[in-house]
This record gives sequence, C-alpha cells and structure tokens, in this order.
Amino acid sequence: MTVIDAHGHLGRWSDFAIPDGSARSLVDVMDRCGVAIACVSHLLAVGPDARAGNALLLTDLAQHPGRLLGYAVFNPHDPQAPARLRDLMDAPGVIGVKLHPEVHELPLDHPAYAPAFDIAADRGRIVLAHSQHASAFSDPVRFAAVAPRYPELPLLMGHSGLWTSGFAPAAEAAARCPNLVLETCGTRMTTRHLLRLVAEAGAERIVFGSDAVFLDLRVGLGRVLLADLDEADRAQILHGTMDRLLKGLR
Amino acid sequence: MTVVDINRLLGPLPYDEVASRDPAGLVGELDRLRIDSACVVHTHAVYGDPRDGNESLTAVEETDGVRLRPVPVLIPGPLGTAEWQGSGGLVRLCPGEHRWSLTGGYALALAAALARTRTTVLLGWETVTAAEIDQLASALPTLRIILTGTGYRSLRELAELMDRHGELYVDTSTLTGHLQVEWFAGRYGARRVLFGTGAPVTDDAGPRFQLDTLALPDSETALIAGGNALRLLGEAEDP
Repeated sequence: MTVIDAHGHLGRWSDFAIPDGSARSLVDVMDRCGVAIACVSHLLAVGPDARAGNALLLTDLAQHPGRLLGYAVFNPHDPQAPARLRDLMDAPGVIGVKLHPEVHELPLDHPAYAPAFDIAADRGRIVLAHSQHASAFSDPVRFAAVAPRYPELPLLMGHSGLWTSGFAPAAEAAARCPNLVLETCGTRMTTRHLLRLVAEAGAERIVFGSDAVFLDLRVGLGRVLLADLDEADRAQILHGTMDRLLKGLR
Repeated sequence: MTVVDINRLLGPLPYDEVASRDPAGLVGELDRLRIDSACVVHTHAVYGDPRDGNESLTAVEETDGVRLRPVPVLIPGPLGTAEWQGSGGLVRLCPGEHRWSLTGGYALALAAALARTRTTVLLGWETVTAAEIDQLASALPTLRIILTGTGYRSLRELAELMDRHGELYVDTSTLTGHLQVEWFAGRYGARRVLFGTGAPVTDDAGPRFQLDTLALPDSETALIAGGNALRLLGEAEDP
C-alpha cells in the first residue's frame, strides 16, 4: 500500500518549538514508516507571510519531487494573492490551495476567499482548509455553506472539526456535501473517534493526514494503522481517497 | 521489549462511552495494541473524590494484578486521602481537578512523604503551572515526578524544567510534536522519557505506533517502552 499524507507542513511555528522542520527531516520520517507522499504547505505561509512561505514551499518541492506535493497558502487580505495563486497553480508539484480561516481571521464562506475557490475550481485542484468546531471562522457549517458553491471542487476539511465535539458536525456536513472530504489529523482524535467518522461518513470520504511537522507524522499514522478498522476501509483512508483526488487533478 | 503504559485511565468517562469502562475491556485494548501492562488510575478517583474513588481499584487488585497496576490518586490535607503509608510504587496527584494547591503546606508535607518513601508521582501538566512544578521540585529535589500530557506546544517550558531538575520525567501521551520524543531522549537521555497514552481521554494507538518507529537505538527505545517504568516502580535495577 502507498500511504499518502494529505495534510502536512514544513518549517516552524510561532508559539512552540519544532526542533527540525526541514523537508529532509519530514522525508526521513516518511521513509521510516512507509509514507510515500506528503501534501504540505509551508508554515511561514500559513503564518505571517504567504508570499515568502509559498516561495520556500516551491524550493522544497523541487528538492523532493514525487515525495512532497504542495498546497499554496492563500491570504485573503493580500491584494496580490489571486494573481500570485494563479502562478503558483502552474508550479511543479502544487496540487491545490491551503486556507486557514483562524490565522487569517476571516470566515471560510467570506467572499474574500472566492478568488481562491474560483482558481482552484478552474484549474481542477484541491482546497484544504483548517476546521475548528464552534469557531466563527472555520466551524463545519462554514464548509457546508461554501462547498455547494463549487460542486466539482474537492474541499478537504482539515482536522474534521478539530475538537471531539466537532467530529459529528463534520460528518453531518460531509453527508450534506458530496465534495467535502474529512481529514484525520489532530491531537483530540482517537481510534474510537475515527471509527465513528468511518461509520458516519464512509471511508471513501476520509483521507489520512498527520499535520507533520506541526505534529509527529507517526502518531497520526498509527491511529489509522492500529484502529480496529476493516482493511478495505483502512486502505481507503491511507491511500484510496487521496489517490482518487490526485488522479482527478487536471 | 516490555511495554508499560504509565498513564492510563480505567472506568467510565462522563462524556463518552469507552471500552475501558471495566478491567476486561481495558485488557482487551492492551491486547490489541500489544501493551504488556498499564498503570491505571480509576476515573472515579479523578472525576470524583479519590477518598471514595480509589476503592474502585480494589476490583483490579482482585481480578488482575499483572496487566493492570493500580495507581491511587492522593489529596493532601485534612480533607484529603489519608496520610501516605505506602512505599515505592506510583501515585497520581490531580491538584487542578480536586482544587488544592501544589505548593501549599499540605502538599509539600505529602510530597515530602512521597520522596522519603521513593514513591513516584504522576502529575498532569495541564493542571498546574511550570512555576508550581519548579517550586515543588526545588523544595524536594529527590521527588520523582512524571509529567503527563505535556502536549506538543510546551517544549521550551519543559526544557527549562528538565534542565533544572534531574528527577523530572515526561510521558509520551501528548508529546506529539515532530520528533519531540527523540529530541527529549537526545538532550536528557532516554531514561527520562516514559511511554504513556493518557487513554481513553487521549489516543493510545498513535503513541504505541510511534514507539515502534522511534529513531533511537533499541536499548533506548526499550527504556522508554517499559524499562523506565519498571525501574521507577522498583521492579528493575537502575542500570
């Protein structure tokens, strides 16, 4: 089986220490536990500077072709962001757009994100957005509001609501929106929560994500590998769903 | 390699249904993840008053003294659990949950008794402050404290504490930042890191898989997996 990590990062973050956030370090861990591909954004781009962070992403993608695929971060406050995103969509290894409504303090269904969704839909790409239940910016209801506007666009709900209280609302949103895909990373997720997500949403609507190098890739992976799942469902989460999305890229 | 989960809950949770609500269910979980034994606190003693809740561990002692290792929760002072009469082993302190001060006079008296009897303490990181831990460890430098649930965002605070106090340890339950276990083992030695899950509140499968894939020598992984736990429990020699 070829494991694909749908949600990862490179770099460092502001409020805690990542001892080594390099691409080399991530690829080493991937090699150690059998992950073929990680789809990543750069933390500098998620945080203070999307322009600079996206540039670093392209450099890292070029150094690890085939192992790292990229999401370009779209900052809805940057007037140059739409034009820059169009260019980034043409860069080798870039598969889609990363949105972080918490960092950018703007609800996911705000019109300022429309250029990002339009560009991703036009180019046949993927959008991965952070979700956080009970947040004014990224509650699963925001995903359910925006997903029907772009029915052909795969919209990944990073963290599936994040909090334990958010997993059921995330599954409900996925049930209403066929193009919503749930992603598994987060420190609140356990195997029993994962089993419930599979029961409620179906494995074909779930992708494995680790949040590395923010989190340890092995912890997120172990949760899927050691869960009491049907083997076909496990393969679907670790590989099948994301493989289908990647093959659907234009 | 012997695997001991140093940080496990037994019993029902008030907000979720879990397999480990009873000893048989918990042992089933351990079997599934190839964990040899677990040090268990009863949920009655965490989410209730330990003066009553610790009695629920009696069922463990009667039915299973091998896979599940009972860990009492202690409270200092006149409204607490009785004066500590034990020796060695492991206890848990929950000052946040039970509303008492970790650095008050009652707590320091209890901690002194625990240090004197070589009893190791489990202490939840999120229920106290780094300053309180520093104060306690400074007052009682021989007291062995395993900080549990440290999270992945606390590395800088933890590093200062670990540098200052040689008898502070961490569990791996939420030490889930990228390669943080290896970083701790590299800086402080593997003997100060213990496998723990915090399950069922936090995930057990992830830390268990992480244990199998650590980028450390086998001897160091074995210490983290269970060697350190057995040493602190007095069941293995200090190498």
